[in-house]
Amino acid sequence: MDSRSKLDHGLFLLVVGLAAWVIPGGGHFLIKEHKRAGIIFATITLTFLVGLYIGSVGVIDPVGSWPWYIPQMMTSPVVGFMGHLTKVQGYHSYGKPGDIGQIYTSVAGMMNLLCIISAVYMAYCGRGEIIGEEDA
Amino acid sequence: MLDNFANMIAAFTAPEHIGTTPYSILWMFPLLASVSIIYKATKLRVIFVKKFVKEVAILFLTLSLFMIGVAVLLYFVVWFVTG
Repeated sequence: MDSRSKLDHGLFLLVVGLAAWVIPGGGHFLIKEHKRAGIIFATITLTFLVGLYIGSVGVIDPVGSWPWYIPQMMTSPVVGFMGHLTKVQGYHSYGKPGDIGQIYTSVAGMMNLLCIISAVYMAYCGRGEIIGEEDA
Repeated sequence: MLDNFANMIAAFTAPEHIGTTPYSILWMFPLLASVSIIYKATKLRVIFVKKFVKEVAILFLTLSLFMIGVAVLLYFVVWFVTG
């Protein structure tokens, strides 16, 4: 592999990683793993939304509960906007709903981190449905 | 249409009521299902629907049984310490 194609490949891996972060499943979609991308998008988005519904948008608190905010940010950069909204509007969430909401949203973020690593690794290995499908 | 959308968004600004009861532990099962789905989605080399569903179900049951086992163990530890 010459230096130009190495650079292109490195950039491609970066784009796959960023896409996987911006939209859950986006990285797998770019490497033509469409089924996997759909499953990841639906599951992570639903888990995150259930967490928000239970604990309200107040569970995303970059000031009061910043250790939870770090894994939450792994879900998507949109969480940063929500964190800003929470800070400005003063939404809060306490007690059991707050706990469960934080656990759901943080686990959604950690699962997306796993998917980002998986997408980048698959792109690095040249895997994906682009190389063909195995027989059933 | 806009009212419906506003109502839907408003549902995300106030927490739901969940009491501190033993039933609140049941909230772990949807999370275990999510973890099972994502783990298998990243682990399987090729996704075949039937195989995928079977693998997810097995992992979900394994995780659930383990968590139930831990809950029972903790219950007896608390019973032993406080009783």
